[in-house]
Amino acid sequence: MFLGNLASLRYFLPEFAVTATILLLVVLHVVTKSPRSTASGFLSLLGVGAAIFLAGVAPAGAGRSIFEGMVAHDGFAVFFKVLTALATLVVIFMSMDSRDLAGRSQAEYYIFLLSTLLGMFLLSSATDIVMLYLALELVSIPSYLLAGYLKGQERSTEAAMKYVVYGATASGVMIYGFSILFGLTGSTQVAEIGRSLAAGKATLPMLLASVMVAVGFGYKIAAVPFHMWSPDVYEGAPTPATAFFSVGPKAAGFAVLVRFYYTVFAAADPGTGLWRLTSAVDWPFLFAALSALTMTVGNLVAVKQSNVKRLLAYSSIAHAGYMLMGFVLLSSAGIEAILFYLVVYLFMNLGAFYVVVLVSNATRGEEISDFTGLGSRAPFAAVALSIFLFALTGIPPFSGFIGKVYLFAEVIHRGVYWLAVVAALNSVVSLYYYTRIVRAMFFEEPKDASAIPVPAVSGALLVLLVAPTLILGVYWEPVARIAADSVRMLAF
Amino acid sequence: METVLFILFGAIAVCGAIMVVTRKHPMASALYLILTLFAVAALFVLRQAHFLAAIQVIIYAGAVVVLFIFVIMLINVPEDRLPVERATTMRVLGVLAAGFFILESAVLARRFWMPIGPVAEVGTVEAVGRALFTDYLLAFEITSVLLLAAVIGAIALAKRKI
Repeated sequence: MFLGNLASLRYFLPEFAVTATILLLVVLHVVTKSPRSTASGFLSLLGVGAAIFLAGVAPAGAGRSIFEGMVAHDGFAVFFKVLTALATLVVIFMSMDSRDLAGRSQAEYYIFLLSTLLGMFLLSSATDIVMLYLALELVSIPSYLLAGYLKGQERSTEAAMKYVVYGATASGVMIYGFSILFGLTGSTQVAEIGRSLAAGKATLPMLLASVMVAVGFGYKIAAVPFHMWSPDVYEGAPTPATAFFSVGPKAAGFAVLVRFYYTVFAAADPGTGLWRLTSAVDWPFLFAALSALTMTVGNLVAVKQSNVKRLLAYSSIAHAGYMLMGFVLLSSAGIEAILFYLVVYLFMNLGAFYVVVLVSNATRGEEISDFTGLGSRAPFAAVALSIFLFALTGIPPFSGFIGKVYLFAEVIHRGVYWLAVVAALNSVVSLYYYTRIVRAMFFEEPKDASAIPVPAVSGALLVLLVAPTLILGVYWEPVARIAADSVRMLAF
Repeated sequence: METVLFILFGAIAVCGAIMVVTRKHPMASALYLILTLFAVAALFVLRQAHFLAAIQVIIYAGAVVVLFIFVIMLINVPEDRLPVERATTMRVLGVLAAGFFILESAVLARRFWMPIGPVAEVGTVEAVGRALFTDYLLAFEITSVLLLAAVIGAIALAKRKI
């Protein structure tokens, strides 16, 4: 049933590509002795591109358990591998363009970025709690380093420190939860744990375990009340790294959340596309409450922010709340909606951050006041940012609207009306703070009216990010189909 | 006999842990930490986990705490400059909450009878080695990537100029 270690190697090619790139970066750094050259950036691009290609071409089939049941190779994992690698690719482009990082050694930065990517690959495919924990640490530890990469800047160091303290606490609580699960079932295999729990009736330790595990995962997706770290980290970290945190680890966190909870605390009803609870613990309700809380807190606090990076941090907390709605429904259509939303979110959120990078390269600031008059100073970037912000709000005809339609439709279909109402009200609130930036860009007079140059390469990348945001708003079928296929192949 | 030893070493571990957090001087705390870690290693031996016990002593008591002691000696804060800890309301509440939580976990464990896992043949060196290089090989290899990233990170953070 499990594939042995040697036979598994050929299903592990994307991970090999990333690991090989990490090692090559180390060698390159030692050999060339010019740490500030852009060569490491190009090498990373190549490596991540190869990983996307290798992940995309290998058909997952019905899914199989590889490396003695450590990780799964299925459509769900492949979907997340391509998604997170795509996010990394864009972030590498952004990093090569960012003035935050320009005067610093590049190789280490990309090594951390790619180590995180490897961690995300494993996190989205782990089916054993030992592997799962290790993958989570592999995502977290390089992330701390990325957050603190601007050595000598107080905010960056503060961000790294806060990230470490919160991360260590969260993963400590989570592994305690794992130890309870292991104690109850005597297995580290996620599927095996699920089967044992379904047969037994030990409910209170299970409640304890499910809550403790939720702390670790909730921290990764920055759900309230485990979100405290994210605004400070997002503000202090170099902007490309912030963009990365808000998309990559968050997506991987959702992958592991779905795979773990739907395997351990629920069982699929064959043929219906629905899951039923196997534990007496009503965790969907728990997460529904978290979802409502997350989007409300995220949106309400975002209203008061004056720093754009901080504002986008709270907005990304709110978006985690929207996506959690799909998680609590116990239906494959709900997971499908999450996957689709993640694709849409990838482009619009990275795009918004990319414009922030371009503007702060020129103005050296990230306050909303630095964006005043951007409509005349850099019209193209301003229009692009407006598109991204309206898409994040969920206004038609942009892609964010379609993503929200999928989520809302399934929430209503499953009869969780109160959650749909909360989410709808929240979307209205979010319109206010997104349009504040748009208003500053187009309707306020800038102090300094000089034009902000947008290099041709940056413009091209911006077009590549705007295009999906527009196209997915009118023609989304293919992506929705891929998302649906990825859920269907979810092998346990 | 086993129960007596368990209670003995368990008591040492708990008392040592309490001493770690209540001592004023960090050096005393570090030394009590070593005591606690040794007692926990003894508990591992009682559960037939010989390998784990050896690792516990070598890595935690040996390497990690020695590193702590190095750092404490390097920083070398004089006795009278140590910060004075006061028992604020929040701290008292925190201790109470923690005590309540521990008590509750113990009651839960007794009430629902956590199954005792297989005792023999899991903690021996042979069993651990076999598991490490067959079932958990991937985890073992991925750890090396994690350590590589951590090492590079430590250098990047510590180097004056990168």
